[in-house]
Amino acid sequence: MSLSRREFLKATAVSGGGLMLSFSLGGCAASDNGYRESGGEGRWTPNAWLEITDQNGITLTIARVEMGQGTVTGMTTLVAEELDVPPDTLKTRFAPVGDAYRNPLYKLQLTGGSTSLATSWQPLREAGAAARIMLERAAARTWNVEARRCTGRDGRVWHPDGETSLSYGQLAALAAHETVPDPVPLRPRSEWRYIGKTNTRHDAEIKSTGQAEYGIDVDLPDMVYAVMTRPPRLGLRVEGFNADTVRAMPGVIDVVETERGVAIVADKYWRARKAQDALEIVWDETDALDLDVDHVFETYARAADDDPGETEREDGDVEQARSQAGQVLEAEYRVPFLAHATMEPMNATARVNENGIEVWAPTQAPDLGRIAAARVTDFSPDEVTIHTTWIGGGFGRRLTQDYIEEVAAIAFQVRRPVKLLWSREDDMRHDVYRPAMLHRLSATLSDEQITGWDHQIVGPQVLNWYARNAAAAQFPWAPKFLYDSLARVGVMAEGIATPKDTSAIEGAVEYPYAAPNVRVRHTHVDAGIPISYWRSVGHSHNGFVVETFMDEVAHSLGRDPYKFRRDLLKQKPGDLAVLDRAAKLGDWSRPVPEGRARGIAIHRSFGTLVAQVVEAGIEGGAIRVYRVACVVDCGQVVNPDVVRMQMESGILFGLTAALYGEIEFEQGAVKQGNFDDYRLLSMYDLPEMTIDIIDSEASPTGVGEPGVPPVMPALGNALFALTGKRQRNMPFKVEV
Amino acid sequence: MAIKLTVNGQLRQLDIEADTPLLWVLRDELGLKGTKFGCGKGLCGACTVHLDGSPARSCSTPVSLAEGREVTTIEGLAPEGELHPLQLAWVEHNVPQCGYCQSGQIMSAAHLLSYNAAPSNDDIVAAMSGNLCRCRTYARIHAAIKSVSKHGEADA
Ligand code: FES
Ligand code: FES
Repeated sequence: MSLSRREFLKATAVSGGGLMLSFSLGGCAASDNGYRESGGEGRWTPNAWLEITDQNGITLTIARVEMGQGTVTGMTTLVAEELDVPPDTLKTRFAPVGDAYRNPLYKLQLTGGSTSLATSWQPLREAGAAARIMLERAAARTWNVEARRCTGRDGRVWHPDGETSLSYGQLAALAAHETVPDPVPLRPRSEWRYIGKTNTRHDAEIKSTGQAEYGIDVDLPDMVYAVMTRPPRLGLRVEGFNADTVRAMPGVIDVVETERGVAIVADKYWRARKAQDALEIVWDETDALDLDVDHVFETYARAADDDPGETEREDGDVEQARSQAGQVLEAEYRVPFLAHATMEPMNATARVNENGIEVWAPTQAPDLGRIAAARVTDFSPDEVTIHTTWIGGGFGRRLTQDYIEEVAAIAFQVRRPVKLLWSREDDMRHDVYRPAMLHRLSATLSDEQITGWDHQIVGPQVLNWYARNAAAAQFPWAPKFLYDSLARVGVMAEGIATPKDTSAIEGAVEYPYAAPNVRVRHTHVDAGIPISYWRSVGHSHNGFVVETFMDEVAHSLGRDPYKFRRDLLKQKPGDLAVLDRAAKLGDWSRPVPEGRARGIAIHRSFGTLVAQVVEAGIEGGAIRVYRVACVVDCGQVVNPDVVRMQMESGILFGLTAALYGEIEFEQGAVKQGNFDDYRLLSMYDLPEMTIDIIDSEASPTGVGEPGVPPVMPALGNALFALTGKRQRNMPFKVEV
Repeated sequence: MAIKLTVNGQLRQLDIEADTPLLWVLRDELGLKGTKFGCGKGLCGACTVHLDGSPARSCSTPVSLAEGREVTTIEGLAPEGELHPLQLAWVEHNVPQCGYCQSGQIMSAAHLLSYNAAPSNDDIVAAMSGNLCRCRTYARIHAAIKSVSKHGEADA
């Protein structure tokens, strides 16, 4: 459907004097976003607002949630470029939850999958340009000169004489009466002043002075504090508890039972925690899920034997290739459950009054938070207001709204403003995990070539777990009693109500190398352990597996792993450029220092291609990473420093998983609890990192996640080169 | 119990259970929310403050231990309206991502520079390895500290 520009970009006057442009991030997608609001058949709804007033300067309100990935900086840079003002003079606000703020790719309001800049690249620049043009026209009318001879620059419109000027603020009220230009001409790349050049982040100062307000910092008048005791093992339910004893503890206001456990509410956080020691709960064990992590992999292996799974890709005929192969290489890989372990533990604050409930929370998906709060109270989603805050790390964890559900249930019962805070142990043991997965691969080789690639992925898919609230959120008009059935529909109607769940297969079906016969299958099996999205999702294991097995193939053919990949990527100049540059940057063809070795890997995720060379060794019985060279192609770069930062962060995130990451279950209980047994990389482990960005004019693609996948196989491959032992399970071990 | 302590140069008096961790006193009683909770067990450094000039993990420091002593938090690191040289360097180097760990990082770094104006790379690593960052901003933290130290960035 092609709508004229004017229908995408609307101008209104701000009361009190000023110009407001409403627009939609995501261009055409927003006009056909798969759902219809009640009473608004196909009506266009804006999800971003640019406001210019005399008193308040320039404010950009965006329907996104910041997770530390520099989204805000990127977005303001785009608007500022066309408006011609320094990006740091723009104020930003997060949009409150509502139907209008849906992420066009997901059709839900959430930030994830590295989509923010990809969907908003065009509309943000158009909004900035339209505003500038309208301001120029308003100035021209005032001076009675031709509009095209007036120039908006550095926050002012300049008269053709080059001396007289009016500020944007002065012109804003007048500009509101100009028509929105259609089409909106954008600046040519050669004239950009900020895009690709700006390096400051908007939020560095408030985050260096302790001023940024995170969820945990929310303070309401008369607020009380809650802690929750949840089932120590999967599947347990509360049967009873010693409410009276706990109520008598100092400071305790109430003890309430919710779907998810027993909450203690006290006047102070510490008193609530102390009272928790006195709480004794009798658990109903009828549905206890007494599983150990070994059982999970046994279940997977059995499923893999019994069920070849759904074929997700089939080129040629791998079976035939197998029957004719000179050599068949086979391997099995395992990756464990992983916690998100965001630095800010889960928390939320809520206040109930007769009209509804307000929730303050660091959430990546306020849309779903609203449904979650409605589900556990008497309120309809319309009566739930979600205020988002700064977020102390997301990585996918805050797409799940369990903490909002909890605080809403507590506030609804105690009827006081209440803040719920999870301890680190709560956070580690009641996470929704990156699923453990099993992979079986075989490659058929003839005449020094891969003739067939056969990959069986075994494990659960995330959407089944995620759908409960997500499905309901997609049908905002649906009555609450339908939520549970919608959840089931959401899963069954996958592809209609929700995007196809590619969480298990992404990064594997796209197998990029030239091979005549390729098959990728997914055997779906779910052990019942709660799972969710985790930074780079399926790519986090598929990238590891594909790039490690490629290395196995190269070695078994006696080929150099870099040149081997190179030969098989000949038809893809973009991939080749990234791979070549990484090899160069990582000194691939230079001698390695004594006691070290190098490994290489390349992987595309969320549209962004990343290749890395890792130099590693073994020091004092432990794996040590010395250097990581990283080359990234993420289309047009808006803010090079944000790209570099995200690559660095992704590399270290991946290395943490490769070296330490593992959540284990023992009889249905999570073994790890805090940073002593779920270790994070520290500054001590920091390798030297060099990041190189490919110059590109293509639309920008995400950078928050793609740095993660390749570093794990690159490290494992380096360790193989060093020790001759193949790392097929994560986390890596010196003794395999 | 009644407790007196000096926080960012101001004498504060309060009545609170002696075993309450200093962290919650600072955050919830005194409204100084810049100091963060990460692990509650002295494992991550998010809650780092200075106690009589030495770094302390406020999550594991009972408030009674702070009786009569001077506490400095991120809010009091620089005089009102000014930034500490490290905070300037943090902005300059674009250190924070989610930012949650950064108060603790800066407090640890400030202590390092207070007794060692020209730390070597190893000194920095030794002083900072107890401060975890899930967004892994370590490279920039290291560079920012280096830029403020007497060595400057020359051998960074
Ligand atoms: S919260 Fe104090 S060290 Fe982690
Ligand atoms: S910046 Fe996010 S934890 Fe350090």
